[in-house]
Amino acid sequence: MKTRFEYKNQGMESGYGTIVHPVMPNKLECDVAVIGAGPNGLMTAAYLAKAGLKVVLLERRGEIGGGLATEEVLYPCHYANTHAIYHMMVDYLPMMNDFNFNERGLLWMYPNAQTGMIFKDRRSLLLSRMQDCTYDSILKWSEEDANKFADWIRVINRMMDEILAPGTYVPPIPSLDLVVKTQKTKLGQQFLEMMEKSPYESVTETFKHPKVRALFLYVACMWGLDPTETGAFLFPLMMWISMHKRQCYGGSHKMASLFGKDVVTNGGLILENAEVVKIHTEDGKATGVELFDGTVIKAKAVASTLDPQSTFVRLVGESKITPTLAERCKTWKFDKWSLWTIHIATERPLEYEVVDDARVNEALMNVMGFENEDDVLKFFTGVRAGKLDHIGGHATCETLYDPTLVDIPGHHVSKFQFPAPYDLDGNKDNWEKRKKDIERKVLDLWLSHLKGFSGKDIIAHSSESPVDIERRIPCMVRGAIKHGDYNILQMGYNRPDETCSTTRTPIAGLYVCGASTYPGGMVTGGPAYIASTAIAEDMGAKRWWKTPGFITKYVDTYLRD
Amino acid sequence: MPKDERYDFVIVGGGPNGVTLAAYLAKSGASVCVLEERPEAGGACENTEPIAGVKINPHAIMLYGAPAPGFEQLELWKYGWRIDENEMGDLMADASRGVACSFGMSPLTEKDQLGFAKMAGLLTQPTFTKELLRSVFWCPPHPPEVEVTIDNIPYMQVYKKYQPDVWTEEMLDMDMFDLMDEHLESEPWKVQQAVVAWYSGAAGHWKGVAVPAWACAITLLICGRMRVPRGGMHDYFHAVMRCALAHGAVVRTCCPVDEIILNDGVAVGVRLRDNATVGEKKIWAKKAVISGVDVRQTFNKLVGPSHVDRGLLQRVNDISLKGGSIFNFHFYTRERLEARKPWAGKFLGGGYPQDSREIYYDHVADVDGRKGNPTVPPERALWLSTPYVRFEPTDRQVTRPEGHIMSPVYFLVPPPEYHVDGPDAINKIKDQITQYIIKAMSSGPYENLNSDNIIHVWTNSPYDSEFRNTGLIGGTWCGTRHCRDQWAEKRPVPELARYRTPIDGLYLCNQTSCHPGGLFLQAIPYNLMHILIEDGLVEPGPWWYSSPYYIPQQGKKSAKRPQ
Repeated sequence: MKTRFEYKNQGMESGYGTIVHPVMPNKLECDVAVIGAGPNGLMTAAYLAKAGLKVVLLERRGEIGGGLATEEVLYPCHYANTHAIYHMMVDYLPMMNDFNFNERGLLWMYPNAQTGMIFKDRRSLLLSRMQDCTYDSILKWSEEDANKFADWIRVINRMMDEILAPGTYVPPIPSLDLVVKTQKTKLGQQFLEMMEKSPYESVTETFKHPKVRALFLYVACMWGLDPTETGAFLFPLMMWISMHKRQCYGGSHKMASLFGKDVVTNGGLILENAEVVKIHTEDGKATGVELFDGTVIKAKAVASTLDPQSTFVRLVGESKITPTLAERCKTWKFDKWSLWTIHIATERPLEYEVVDDARVNEALMNVMGFENEDDVLKFFTGVRAGKLDHIGGHATCETLYDPTLVDIPGHHVSKFQFPAPYDLDGNKDNWEKRKKDIERKVLDLWLSHLKGFSGKDIIAHSSESPVDIERRIPCMVRGAIKHGDYNILQMGYNRPDETCSTTRTPIAGLYVCGASTYPGGMVTGGPAYIASTAIAEDMGAKRWWKTPGFITKYVDTYLRD
Repeated sequence: MPKDERYDFVIVGGGPNGVTLAAYLAKSGASVCVLEERPEAGGACENTEPIAGVKINPHAIMLYGAPAPGFEQLELWKYGWRIDENEMGDLMADASRGVACSFGMSPLTEKDQLGFAKMAGLLTQPTFTKELLRSVFWCPPHPPEVEVTIDNIPYMQVYKKYQPDVWTEEMLDMDMFDLMDEHLESEPWKVQQAVVAWYSGAAGHWKGVAVPAWACAITLLICGRMRVPRGGMHDYFHAVMRCALAHGAVVRTCCPVDEIILNDGVAVGVRLRDNATVGEKKIWAKKAVISGVDVRQTFNKLVGPSHVDRGLLQRVNDISLKGGSIFNFHFYTRERLEARKPWAGKFLGGGYPQDSREIYYDHVADVDGRKGNPTVPPERALWLSTPYVRFEPTDRQVTRPEGHIMSPVYFLVPPPEYHVDGPDAINKIKDQITQYIIKAMSSGPYENLNSDNIIHVWTNSPYDSEFRNTGLIGGTWCGTRHCRDQWAEKRPVPELARYRTPIDGLYLCNQTSCHPGGLFLQAIPYNLMHILIEDGLVEPGPWWYSSPYYIPQQGKKSAKRPQ
């Protein structure tokens, strides 16, 4: 018996030669190589491709999107948004207009009922998009707090509109300068005063009722602000978000698809399963990237959306950067907590057992497991210390507003999520060890608030720990959904470092524009917007997009001397 | 949102066929809009990561379409098409490992190898494999006025020209086993090819389609070198879709179509369902509406039965889906599933057990709905595995520290509509079927497939598939079966074989209803292009070439379209 087919040499090889079709060459050239097809990578690539530059967008995963992921976690037939689901900056995103998304089928569900909190006694508190509805709900608990809210929210909204949102799309300036400039207006002064306080102080000084405090403190901190740390200039943003979240119809991934289409339509190339292992530099200038399979892509500019450790230490190489930057990268603090999530599939929508307000069933998010601000504070303090002594978190029925997530009509998928440490009790392996136990406790809490639901009604479930987040997206090191902690030393002009927070880095032709760059993560589009402008300018490409009025107004009011 | 949109072509369904056609049309300079019901285009070319770090391929897996002209015509390498060589590439090396049988691996004889090489076009210099395959799949069926004869059947022409000693008049009446009995020697080698053909949508036991069935199986896979494209079939699909987009096609997701609008008997556009992301609007087609949805739904739901001739509709509803629907398993295990002795090192996935055609026929009897649930004892159950070795070494399926994935394992069950206990009958016994297949596999090569080793099993029945991909009738790979009554110029029924429909301006482009069927061959769009050119609807550039075996027809002049 021959081990190999001996007719091979008689033409089979040449036969294959005529059959095997050409594949992509392993050497390419382009103007800009963008590393990572998450929201920022996609947006940067889309802006630059439309500016006439030849762009190659490189993604490690099998699908573009990064945090804009919609996956069949409850296979078969049930999908969930595994990362971004609560889109918060849609009102401000310049991309919505620049890429004409509203006319291209990107649909946002923007319910009035936004964030509910359900208490043990079956009563509830509900934050709504419309201020007066929130007012009504707070009034159930405290007239004083309701009136306080009415005044307070107007200031918060103005801070968002006039300072924080426009600031997202403008390159950062050193902190002291920023303080001086922000002081120019009364609103700016109020903003700086608020910044002096920790979220806990802000919430407890504003509100008196423990239930009201509990909800506001939870929504202030759930995305990574430390409750007791001062200098939390994103506090007003978090408040605003709790009442202005949207859900992307068709799944968050749909937003990624649309950007991807813009990249391709404008002559760009997108490669998935194309992990970058090296950023090539020559004489202090970035010249291209190398993929895991040896493919070399020469580029005049390289834009990295990865975390600073990956970009500078792993891909560029320590010897090519200054010791200070290397030190900065190595001591980079990833998010102080990540998220733990359980997805479930049911044959009917979730219905909560509440005695006072049926509209919590329509809320995009419901928080449960907390009775007062001390519970919340204890919870976050525990999480920060790597503990999970208290079970509480937020839940969303994703199919309530987006039935496309299930293939079987009438079925629903929901998730319960809570801020969670990476190292649980000092070791990340504990997540796997305690998986069943945590799942059971979470479901017990969740089911106790649901009307007529028992474990039997859950037809499928799947949970993901911070370790799993890192597995899906390795540059979310330690499950860092924002690629780096939100603390005063890592925010603003310091994100990720004062030498590169404006997107340009000490290496010519290398740009950083991921969530670890100013202003941060959470699909704000800020890093991409700033990088696109800088790269287009440096490469002499046409900046075809117009700066929206709210940004111009901010620049005119505050930044001009 | 503007109320109306207008394109030259509107394509219903963003699976491989719809989107490949969009790429062809857009590259020809036409304006095209593809409307996909699901949030993600790609049809059955999916991949997903249900657990962080574990990727599964819910449906399509192997590259069958390697000889497709589209790779050259659409220049897919420019849009990221990548597939690496790997050890598995050489089918003959693979075949020399023998064929998996219950007693171990059955070796191939000299006659097995020579006979196969001769049939597959590998013995001539140069080889004619690609020519043979293109003649079977990449050529539109002959026009109705042309009598199909032994001399004008494309693959018969190829054999006559290149390998006349294979060519016989009887070939046309044979089934696959007859053909193989003539050229090959050992029974397992024949059974293996019949099994692969069966799992690929053709069958070894249907008379009159011996060559197509045989080509559909092993030979297409040889050309694809038994490989999985980088990133799976979904990334292969991406290359095609991005080609379409780069040429200006519009692909809309979450846009289910409710109706194909007729005006005076002419298809002029579509109406979206009210839950479409762009709202319940109308999208007009200046030249044609192309249905990438199966023919039954196209007529019964989208066009509406009142617009279709009763007799034709009856025959469309009669289309036979028998031949098997795929029940998928994805095993995530602690230890890698590797074949034990005597299969160790040689069985690298594929069918098992393939001792004799009796085993094959036993399964056909179960699957074609005569018996309903599996009646064969698990030790004799026929299944097909796709282990890690088929994937590019660069394409990691599991990035968790623990565990290995075998995804998918296929097992054929009756198509839902033939099951005596109703379409969801198999779903009700999912757990039993899973235990059955575990028993089947562990009594054979994969001894370590047991409850201690299994971390997770995902299962997907044909009934589930029909929900996931509504155009995939029967949850099959290929829908309509490829028997002589539904093949080539008779597929799915003679009136519809050239992709035209009795409705002016409406064409079919779906695997379940068009020649040559599924497997992402890019063949239906390529073939349909011939017809659209005949009808004067599209004029591709010099990059286009038609099939050398194609018989042109007097183009059907489109009725004046109401604007």
